[in-house]
Amino acid sequence: MIARLYRPLVMGLLPVALIACMNSPPTAGEPSAAVPLGIDLGGSGPVIASAQSELPARAIRAEADTASPRHSDMQMAHAGHNDAHGTGTVNSVDPAQHKVNLSHNPIPEIGWPAMTMEFPVAPSIDLTAIKPGTRVNFTIEQDQGGMYEIKAIAPAGAGR
Amino acid sequence: MNPFALTRRRFMQGAAAAGTLALIPSPLRRAFAAPAPVLSGTEFALEIGSVPLALNGRQATATGVNGQVPAPILRWREGDTVTLAVTNRLSEPSSIHWHGVRTPSPMDGVPGLSFRGIAPGETFVYRFPVHQSGTYWYHSHSMFQEQTGLYGAIVISPKTGYAQTFDRDYVVLLSDWSFEPPETIVSNLKFQSDYYNYGQRTLGTFIADAQHKGLADTVADRIEWGKMRMSPTDILDVSGATYTYLINGQPPGANWTALFRSSERVRLRFINGSSMSIFDVRIDGLPMTVVQADGNDVSPVTVDEFRISVAETYDVIVRPMADRAYAIFAQAEDRTGYARGTLASRPGMAAAIPPMDPRPIRTMADMGMAGMEHGEMPGMELSPEGKLLQGKVGVDNVAMMPAERLQSAGQGFPAGRRVLTYADLRATRPGGDPRPPTHEITLHLTGNMERFIWGFDGKKFSEAGPIELKRGDRVRFVLINDTMMEHPIHLHGLWSELENGHGEFRPYKHTINVKPGERLNYLVTADAPGRWAFHCHLLYHMETGMFREVHVA
Amino acid sequence: MSARIIPVAAALCAFAAPATAETPVAEAEPTLGMESGAMQPVMDQAIFGHAIFNQLEGRWNGSNTEFRWDGQGWVGTDYDKLWIKSEGTLQSNGTVDDGQQQFLYSRAVTTYFDLQGGVRSDIDSHSTRNWGAFGIQGLAPYFFDLEVTGFVSGEGHFAARLETSYDLLLTQRLILQPQIEFNIYSKADPARRVGAGFSDIDTGLRLRYELSRTFAPYLGVVYEGKFGQTANFARQAGESTGDVRLVFGIRTWF
Repeated sequence: MIARLYRPLVMGLLPVALIACMNSPPTAGEPSAAVPLGIDLGGSGPVIASAQSELPARAIRAEADTASPRHSDMQMAHAGHNDAHGTGTVNSVDPAQHKVNLSHNPIPEIGWPAMTMEFPVAPSIDLTAIKPGTRVNFTIEQDQGGMYEIKAIAPAGAGR
Repeated sequence: MNPFALTRRRFMQGAAAAGTLALIPSPLRRAFAAPAPVLSGTEFALEIGSVPLALNGRQATATGVNGQVPAPILRWREGDTVTLAVTNRLSEPSSIHWHGVRTPSPMDGVPGLSFRGIAPGETFVYRFPVHQSGTYWYHSHSMFQEQTGLYGAIVISPKTGYAQTFDRDYVVLLSDWSFEPPETIVSNLKFQSDYYNYGQRTLGTFIADAQHKGLADTVADRIEWGKMRMSPTDILDVSGATYTYLINGQPPGANWTALFRSSERVRLRFINGSSMSIFDVRIDGLPMTVVQADGNDVSPVTVDEFRISVAETYDVIVRPMADRAYAIFAQAEDRTGYARGTLASRPGMAAAIPPMDPRPIRTMADMGMAGMEHGEMPGMELSPEGKLLQGKVGVDNVAMMPAERLQSAGQGFPAGRRVLTYADLRATRPGGDPRPPTHEITLHLTGNMERFIWGFDGKKFSEAGPIELKRGDRVRFVLINDTMMEHPIHLHGLWSELENGHGEFRPYKHTINVKPGERLNYLVTADAPGRWAFHCHLLYHMETGMFREVHVA
Repeated sequence: MSARIIPVAAALCAFAAPATAETPVAEAEPTLGMESGAMQPVMDQAIFGHAIFNQLEGRWNGSNTEFRWDGQGWVGTDYDKLWIKSEGTLQSNGTVDDGQQQFLYSRAVTTYFDLQGGVRSDIDSHSTRNWGAFGIQGLAPYFFDLEVTGFVSGEGHFAARLETSYDLLLTQRLILQPQIEFNIYSKADPARRVGAGFSDIDTGLRLRYELSRTFAPYLGVVYEGKFGQTANFARQAGESTGDVRLVFGIRTWF
């Protein structure tokens, strides 16, 4: 009797297990689940062309904003100074850790050959449309620690 | 067969259902359970009701919208027409006023001027086009509901895009919460106006001052203030003795956190949604570039700290470079408490909370007697209108020499810190109305601290008539603050163009903080007809008389 | 029992029959069925009420203990109040002495002072006397609380009473309060044991600790003095003419 129930049991339990995975509590790596987080309303998008002249600050000490020249900010809304673009195929998605494992093509912008590797994904990105086996275009950016993180990812158009 | 037996067919149906459920994206499933803290679009349903509130382990009943305190963030787009159906589930009348948003007069939300208010159980549908962009806020205009939690942010995105780039965007709504009912707070102030002031001068301060300045000077100083029956320690009427200061509804211990990645530009929309508290805001270790004031673009100016009075807004952009936490620190002006949040690269981080700055103390300049030594008033005479005011029940002081103080940030800032002043605010576009004013309207901001009566020209709202303007008038308002406290003066419906020395690039504001003993002026074009409220935005000042109607016919 | 606001304009705030959902009106000047006086945007004529016991104390002079109360209460608006004042001393032998109750109408006339008028009733263990009362009360320069009241009785006797006190803050909660009250009468009143002229004084130095603003226990020392004819009456009755007592009491208001 158990043998006959085996298949329906597994098929029934599989989605249940999937729900359980999605609802799993934060892992020990995020001890701050209780801290109220601000809601990010998003970036500015493309900005008005004219640069705004800054009023001379009544500075007692000069503040150097030398990190990046102002004019480069006006080019593209999403332009960081360390991002690169690539295409690849999704091997697996880890929703709990918010990571994807990709096999990607060479990325000449940063001198990478074709590789298979795992990337953390920016928190604001919704991963539910990203399925194993999907061909994707993606943008990665390097943070201060040298780690590359996916800032944008979307299924590639058909037939390309 | 047993009808309740788990047949294979039933199991398959159940599993299919469970499987379907699994396919629903998890954020959407969470939304079914939790209230939405951000509402976007053009159609809104807002429900005003009693909301249980727990702060630092203590329970209370607050007034919220859609079950939330603060009320949800409303996201509008410039150019849209928004429809907001507001239902009142309280047992008393309510209302919502869209602070800083120019609406037709019936949509402005002031019971008694715009409409009759929203009765218990009633739904009022606000509907108006949005012709502006920036950071604003909304709050109840009925009794003391603004104090018990009915306040929230409005973010209107610009049609033509932002003037500065940024990667993240957070609303920072500062407020004050008391477990005492607001009616009790006012009643306490009516009997003992320094009820909440635990920073008064004592024998101890006398001895300390005498050691510092000498006995003769200290005695003379005490005599000077005693003769006036005033205390220079009056900074805020209601203090941290009863208030917990909140950042987005969170007390300091909750560590409200805004996340960033290093070298990102973060926009912080500071709103002072409190009832009685002026905050001095800084981010320890991070300068701020002020880009908007009261929803309007200003030429960017970088500062270490700014003072934000009740109902004002300032949008700043910061660029944290290091992978660390920064403390967002908003001290009450009287240093009896602070609101605190964290700007961090990872959740769970916290920065050291800086110590509060020394408590400011009022000076003779705040009494409108700048530059006069103890008691000398060489040949100085009050203006005729000043003479009329002196001695009246509603007036405890008339400024002898009100001064222009726009270049000054105010009292209480340590040397070496760049603090924003009104003189720093320069609009990015020239004003829309180039006409000079045809006439001036001068109003004295007056009050009697001892009796806790506040008003304009010595009169409470119930003792005065409306200020009449004709549609199309271009008029200058001159405000003279005869009191020793700041008053954030808010005019509904019309922009106040503060004359701060930048000529046609004067900033457009909706709320102007007038310092003690200060005289300032601003231009108004009466381009919107209706009955507009004009009042001090310190809630208990407004409710005890500091209110007028400005009628544009 | 904290005071509550009873908005006098509550009637003004009553709605007419409310509409259901208001349809939005275009830009025209609105009335929306709102007659002037139908509702006010702010209620600045609210009625408040408070009462305070400045003295609620036991007085001990080494041999016997008295109990003294001195309190006031008022209800009204910023300008018009009904004011009640009551004081008296319960002697160790059970008699009530120095009873003065006043029922006044108080009108705010200047920044710091109210004009008061009404009746005074001397109700205690001695014969009752009634007077018309007229005076001022408020905050004098240098933060002295001041009450000066004149009285006239039906028989054409005059009287006056002055009370003043000062709060010296030693710390934010520890406050030293010197206080003095004295009475003058134009004619002697033997039944009440008061003589003509400067009659009696009740003065004290009280040190209170404010556990809260509304509740402050205190310790102090008082001097009850009788002068002139009043002193004579007192000696005849076997009472002292000058009494120094230690006091312990509560200063409370609500």
